[in-house]
Amino acid sequence: MRTEQTSLGSTSPTRRSSPVSNAYTVLLEQPISLYAASVLRIGYGLLYLAFLLREFPHRREIWGPDSPWTPALATQLFDQTGWFSILTLSDSPLYFEGCYALAVATCALFMLGWRTRAMSLVFAIVVASFHARAIFMTDGGDNLMLLMALYLCLTACGRRWSLDARRNRLQRSTIGRASRLTRLGSSDRWCNLIATRRLLVTVLHNCGMFVIAAQVCILYGSAGLYKVQGGLWANGTALHYVMNLDLFQPWPALSHMVDSQQMLVAVVSYMTVLVQVAFPFVLFGRLKYVFVTILLGMHLGIAILLGLPLFSGAMIVADAVFLPDRFYQFLARACGRIPLRRYAGGSAATSSSGCRG
Amino acid sequence: MREALSSERDGRSRLLESMDSVDAWKPGRGTAESAIGDPTPAKDEPDPASDTPPERSGTGFLLEAVTGSAVVLFLAASLLHVLLVFLHVAPPNVVSQRYSSQINAWIFPLFEQSWRLFAPDPESVTRQILARTMHTSPDGTQQVTDWFDLTAVDESDVEHNFFPSHTTQNMLRRAWTSYLESHGSDDQSNSERALMIQKYLRNIAVDRVAEHRDSTFEAIQLQLITRPIAAPGAARSVDGTAPVPPIETRYLPWWGAGPDEN
Repeated sequence: MRTEQTSLGSTSPTRRSSPVSNAYTVLLEQPISLYAASVLRIGYGLLYLAFLLREFPHRREIWGPDSPWTPALATQLFDQTGWFSILTLSDSPLYFEGCYALAVATCALFMLGWRTRAMSLVFAIVVASFHARAIFMTDGGDNLMLLMALYLCLTACGRRWSLDARRNRLQRSTIGRASRLTRLGSSDRWCNLIATRRLLVTVLHNCGMFVIAAQVCILYGSAGLYKVQGGLWANGTALHYVMNLDLFQPWPALSHMVDSQQMLVAVVSYMTVLVQVAFPFVLFGRLKYVFVTILLGMHLGIAILLGLPLFSGAMIVADAVFLPDRFYQFLARACGRIPLRRYAGGSAATSSSGCRG
Repeated sequence: MREALSSERDGRSRLLESMDSVDAWKPGRGTAESAIGDPTPAKDEPDPASDTPPERSGTGFLLEAVTGSAVVLFLAASLLHVLLVFLHVAPPNVVSQRYSSQINAWIFPLFEQSWRLFAPDPESVTRQILARTMHTSPDGTQQVTDWFDLTAVDESDVEHNFFPSHTTQNMLRRAWTSYLESHGSDDQSNSERALMIQKYLRNIAVDRVAEHRDSTFEAIQLQLITRPIAAPGAARSVDGTAPVPPIETRYLPWWGAGPDEN
């Protein structure tokens, strides 16, 4: 989360750094972790798209007017809880198919970062609607995706690796928009408005990223602390019971093989609790890379062993919020496909188009 | 690019300084003061520490007041949100009990969450749900079918599936746990919510039986078999003898299966 420190330092080398002014600078002057925000956008857009497409054969059973959780029951529950869903506005099967198509298109466009701010709002409405309509079929992964869809509306999650970023880049290089805006922006008031807007967007983004990070910490902290209270986690046999639940056993032979390694089961049970409880406390040092790697391994294990790829995916994407921009830039360079360094630098320099007075 | 960035920052810090004088927000002063040591800002900036308001047009002043308030609002809202989510997730305590109405008003329904994933203890039983149906023929005789194993269908769908559907992993399982939470052992639906869950569970069973069996029926009954998962070898040797909890079988009452039965 506190990743832009270095780049901020390079823009104001002479600034004295007290913790308060540092925090203030990080909060107000530059949107933090733009790459992580984009990774969250791509990740959750992709996951919800995969969810919708995977359930295509079951879509009517889950969200449709013929679901066992009938529209009447859903509306009755909304009256009690205050939820809202676009899906209960009409019982027509055609309307439902329209909503489903809208949801698929929204997820795809959100993932690609097309008109991201608007799409993030539509995405949140879509996810909330589909979540609420099938509230008794959701699990922790769905819950996390809903929360993240809501929080991502606050963030500038379309600044990197998106169609928006690409369009901005192309516009700049072809028309020379910056110079045009300089002329337009000669008045002080115009500059003030632009600066105000930028400031508010930045603060909102930073608040959003803070809330996302805090939410993930609360998630791991409480998941760990609740496990501490359990006798089966204490004696290291919890995973044995988890792996013997028939509905979470897509590969019975594999589950039995792992289950037969009692030492392994005990070690992993203990490690699960320790890592979850400790996670919020290691985020401010290098140790977080070790923890994120362990969690990645655990979630991959859950995805395959327990047949919960969506849940695991949601957790893995959530962990990505803690990786700094320089990590993603390194990753992008290592992949060697796109010269991201140039994009990042270019957009930072020109997004502040011509309000120089 | 270096220049562009620093001048961008100047524009902002100018705005911030004047904003700071509007709402006298403490962390803001920190930046304004530290900016004095920064040689880049223009010299004609108003002294942020002085009490005289900066010379600005009415709209500019208004804009800055609104901006400053918005920034404070965003920050306060984020911190408050995180605090309320924490209190919602944490075990009931003095604080969360005292402010439960405020916490619930903010959290529900959008931010509701529970992270007791396999906690405090994972389930140590497996549940098998079966259904049978009754058909009354026109002459008044009643025919009851064999038990149809609903859980087995789910399990066979999960097996060798990289991406099992929510309909197999969550639908029946969660409907049943919700039923258990809302009903006593007498299977009476004593609340509106309980009645809704009962209808939901019945609808699932009716749909599944109708999908797999080509018969008409007017009533449906569910049977639940709860089997304990055997303790692992290590736990058994510690105890000396493995306790063998009994297999429980529970029969639910017959429910009408028509679409308008309530």
